[in-house]
Amino acid sequence: MHDQDAAGASAPAASDFGGRSDEPLYRVVLWPHRSLSDRGFLLVMVFTGAMLTLPLIPLAGTPVALGLLPFLVAVPLALGFAIRRNARDGRLTEELRLWPDLVAVVRREPRGRVLRWEANPYWVSLTLHKDAKLENYLTLKGAGREIELGAFLSPEEREALAEELERALARAVTQAGGPAPQ
Amino acid sequence: MADATVHAHEEEHPGFFTRWFLSTNHKDIGILYLVTSAVVGFISVAFTMYMRLELMEPGVQYMLMEDGVTPNGHLWNVMVTAHGILMMFFVVIPALFGGFGNYFMPLMIGAPDMAFPRMNNLSYWMYVAGTALAILSVISPGGNGQLGSGVGWVLYAPLSTREAGYSTDLAIFAVHVSGASSILGAINMITTFLNMRAPGMTLHKTPLFAWSIFVTAWLILLALPVLAGAITMLLTDRNFGTTFFDPAGGGDPVLYQHLLWFFGHPEVYILIVPGFGLISHIISTFSKKPIFGYLGMVYAMVGIGVLGFVVWAHHMYTVGMSHTQQSYFMLATMVIAVPTGIKIFSWIATMWGGSIDFKTPMLWAMGFIFLFTVGGVTGVILSQAGVDRAYHDTYYVVAHFHYVMSLGAIFCIFAGIYYWIGKMSGRQYDERLGKIHFWMMFIGANITFFPQHFLGRQGMPRRYIDYPEAYALWNEVSSWGAFLSGASFLLFFYIMYKTLTSGEKLTEPAYWGEHADTLEWTLPNPPPAHTFEQLPTRDMWDKPAH
Repeated sequence: MHDQDAAGASAPAASDFGGRSDEPLYRVVLWPHRSLSDRGFLLVMVFTGAMLTLPLIPLAGTPVALGLLPFLVAVPLALGFAIRRNARDGRLTEELRLWPDLVAVVRREPRGRVLRWEANPYWVSLTLHKDAKLENYLTLKGAGREIELGAFLSPEEREALAEELERALARAVTQAGGPAPQ
Repeated sequence: MADATVHAHEEEHPGFFTRWFLSTNHKDIGILYLVTSAVVGFISVAFTMYMRLELMEPGVQYMLMEDGVTPNGHLWNVMVTAHGILMMFFVVIPALFGGFGNYFMPLMIGAPDMAFPRMNNLSYWMYVAGTALAILSVISPGGNGQLGSGVGWVLYAPLSTREAGYSTDLAIFAVHVSGASSILGAINMITTFLNMRAPGMTLHKTPLFAWSIFVTAWLILLALPVLAGAITMLLTDRNFGTTFFDPAGGGDPVLYQHLLWFFGHPEVYILIVPGFGLISHIISTFSKKPIFGYLGMVYAMVGIGVLGFVVWAHHMYTVGMSHTQQSYFMLATMVIAVPTGIKIFSWIATMWGGSIDFKTPMLWAMGFIFLFTVGGVTGVILSQAGVDRAYHDTYYVVAHFHYVMSLGAIFCIFAGIYYWIGKMSGRQYDERLGKIHFWMMFIGANITFFPQHFLGRQGMPRRYIDYPEAYALWNEVSSWGAFLSGASFLLFFYIMYKTLTSGEKLTEPAYWGEHADTLEWTLPNPPPAHTFEQLPTRDMWDKPAH
């Protein structure tokens, strides 16, 4: 998935992008695919809670209800925890912002690790590796380091992203006043 | 950011121990489940062979006390109990839900693995531990100064609370551990299904087998905690002097039956619903037509699942419920015939006008439809509270539930194995032997269980080691049928051995043709250890209906 106005991703601190507060020329946020929405999660939990309450209703106030209670409470907790945990494991974002004189990528990993990369767009090269093990593997090279971009996306998505990014980089370089890189 | 590396998995070659004992790979765990349930199935079938041998003639010939004369009724009860517990908890659920569910549900939705691979491993080993406890229970000190507990798989109080020895405690632990295993498995399946479907695969586009596993996971999640609570109270009644189910201390033994069946009725759908999903794919594949009425099929499964929770007391019409309660349970039960009918007719409509290829999996699937319908119809008869007065605890009930379970669920397992063995192993079974296996089992099982309807109508009660002369004929016929089915099971092991060692190698991914069009058919046979690390694209699974 990728989205240009970053809906759904928390706004990153300005310091992540070299303290830049001016509007970037181009911005994109990438995240891995997840099929359950927040609303879906709520529905699942309400349904589970309601169904597990059913056998308790006729037993309310009896000792047997107490015998059942621990199990009926533990199960929805375990389910909720599992779904949340799974969603958290997949909560990975890569955000790219582009100004005429700076391109920066911030990657936030599930366990809180944040990785940063910055370079001057003029010197950056974008490569779509057609023959890599990962089909359409996309890398950005600049400031002495080569990074991958959107490795979790589908090959088609990476191809579309590469085209989009190629155009944005060219625009950035033109705006910076330099000649188009060869 | 990850520095660029070409980071597709390097091919790993785990050693035998790492691969099979420490496995976190959903396909390997699926295979472990299937193999283990086959072994447990063999033990459980061996018990039934012993029982049918004993029932073959009036009088007690084989199950005798050490003096060689006195009938050993306790041994009989232990066999009945062990057969029920093993088949319910340790053969059918692990094979259909644990085995095929683990292997094929993630593949069908295009997920790289289950959501929690290590929890998956834990589920499997808890199942093995539960099996060990169940088998241990058979050979541990129990009631009547003998080994094993003979209280029936339902563990009704007060019989179960008064059975001596610790055999019953072990049986309770076995059910506990397997229940915990199933609940963890269900949480895993639900999370996988909800969170990890391929892009674009909305709920109304998910393959039917994946749906059936999802529905089953919910049934497990919502029903098993009640059983866990009930048998925990049984355990404290047995060991710590509580009186949850003992009238002497204000408890109620009938309440135990309510709790047991609140779990027990959904349990029978837990056993059969994965089969519904599997049969749909097989029927569609071999009729060379897309499945008829996909949405109706999905909501019929959901409907059967929901209704399964509100009909439990039809198992206990004779405990003294009011007429109003009995009428309710009777009508609610009959309503289940509607979604079940939707499924049966949709399968028939799928076959209608199709170019049917009578390969082994299709034979099992069609056999399933016929026999499950027979079992379903006797179910409607038994649902009537008045009629049930006559049939309760007779062989009519035994015939009914074996038609839906032994002939329904077990036929689904075999259908699935013949359908997917080429995918799982890369080698194809021998078509001729597969067909012989089917006909032996089909004829054998019918000869076993159809006459039991007659015995039930004659009034022969369940769970007895002996019977009067009047029931001799059909018992003998039934026993011969059982031996034929038992022999077919041995043939099955031979077929599997032959397939895995010298079966024809399959190179075509979709070897059943274009109507086997779910995602597992885009993979090589057998699939590599890691699949769908690149999420599948829509054109791989979204085939236009034609």
